[in-house]
Amino acid sequence: MIEVVLNDRLGKKVRVKCNEDDTIGDLKRLVAAQTGTRAEKIRIQKWYNIYKDHITLADYEIHDGMGLELYYN
Amino acid sequence: MANRTDPLAKSIHGTNPQNLVEKIVRSKIYQSTYWKEQCFGLTAETLVDKAMELDHTGGTYGGNRKPTPFLCLALKMLQIQPDKDIIVEFIKNEDYKYVRVLGAFYLRLTGTVADVYQYLEPLYNDYRKIRHKLSDGQFTLNHVDEFIDELLTKDYSCDTALPRIQKRWVLEASGTLEPRRSALEDDFEEEEEDKEEEQPMEIDEPNGHEKDNHRGRSPAWERDRDRDRDRDRKERHHRYAALYDVHSHLVFHISVTAMACKSQEPLKITDALLSLYFCRDRDYDRDWDYERDYGRGRERDRDRDRERDRNRDRDRDRHRLRDDDYNRDRDRDRERDGRERERRDRDRGRHRSHSRSRDRRDRDREDGEYRRRRGRGSASPRGRGEDGGPREEPKRKKEKKEKKVEGNAPDPNDPEIIEMNKLRASLGLKPLK
Repeated sequence: MIEVVLNDRLGKKVRVKCNEDDTIGDLKRLVAAQTGTRAEKIRIQKWYNIYKDHITLADYEIHDGMGLELYYN
Repeated sequence: MANRTDPLAKSIHGTNPQNLVEKIVRSKIYQSTYWKEQCFGLTAETLVDKAMELDHTGGTYGGNRKPTPFLCLALKMLQIQPDKDIIVEFIKNEDYKYVRVLGAFYLRLTGTVADVYQYLEPLYNDYRKIRHKLSDGQFTLNHVDEFIDELLTKDYSCDTALPRIQKRWVLEASGTLEPRRSALEDDFEEEEEDKEEEQPMEIDEPNGHEKDNHRGRSPAWERDRDRDRDRDRKERHHRYAALYDVHSHLVFHISVTAMACKSQEPLKITDALLSLYFCRDRDYDRDWDYERDYGRGRERDRDRDRERDRNRDRDRDRHRLRDDDYNRDRDRDRERDGRERERRDRDRGRHRSHSRSRDRRDRDREDGEYRRRRGRGSASPRGRGEDGGPREEPKRKKEKKEKKVEGNAPDPNDPEIIEMNKLRASLGLKPLK
């Protein structure tokens, strides 16, 4: 289990607990459940790399405590 | 400016009609080439031509969230605001299904509740296939009536949040709408009669279409039908319906009541009427039993509801606890895990000076967690915190090693983990590892 921090720099900062083998799509759904936006509207990035929905966190080498950027579609 | 709404247009749902589409999606539409090339200077007539060329529905797709032409035309309609008769024409036309669907979508966004139900429900009878573009760019098969059902029941479609409409039974109760008549009602009535002759009446037929069955009967039931959600009671009315119709369907009902009376021999017509009264009592008894069952069922539902409420309360309490202290605690825990144990003890000592109740709760929770996680023995104040240096060093080392070995395995008793796992289960994900 890892905990990932997502920050949208506009006031929404959320910590989400998830597994390493969860996909980005799952992470988006978890974030949507916590923030209240819709999962389809969320975009997770790191600098200019937009993370794709079907790839797992482990493959993106997202570890515990890492910060990701939260944007909206 | 090309993107401004027609100044003569009315405001919809209290806002600029274009605002019904969200800001980000709207910007994507304005930037798209379809909008810039094809939708410039469209009027109601030319819009129809464009709508006839549509070949799929959908919202935005792809990594860039590119809008579909369907969505662009919908926004164009919101911008120019055609009259209601034009929209009704869109919906009524039979030839072009995408025009129909576009009109339905526009009406769902802008129309009043009564209009929405009145014009969209006939479209339930349209079974044609339409292509729907998903958000990853792939096409999927859909049908017109499925699309209409989505519009009427869900609150989000084609990347647009649909305005809230009241449920149908609310409108029926207030008298604004007639109860729904399905086009398949006659077919179901026949089917019902066939089924009844075959099977005994006691069997609960989980036929939602029984609802449709009674619409032709007395208005009292129509009212009851909508109020009673319970199928059992519908069953009871159904049986009474059978009895009341005795004059029109005598033969049918002889067989029915014969079965109800559990008699095997066929009854003559004159005897039938007598037995009808006779059996009616028995039937009534059975209904009374049924009602008891129904009552039991109701109790069961009630208990279930109560349990659900209780669970909800429990969740609410948990949330409340969480919000107040738990986050603070969590952060505090985090800090402490990073630092050494001495510092932790110092913190605890420091917090002891704060309010007692919170402190006790904190302490209890921490103690419990620490004991579970680290396997510490006694919770007595002598066993923890503020004692001398030498005992702490070996404990600290041991703890660091334990922490490394454990890694981040989620403690299944942690309420937060339980909460998280519940959320994951509701989303369809496996629990935390």
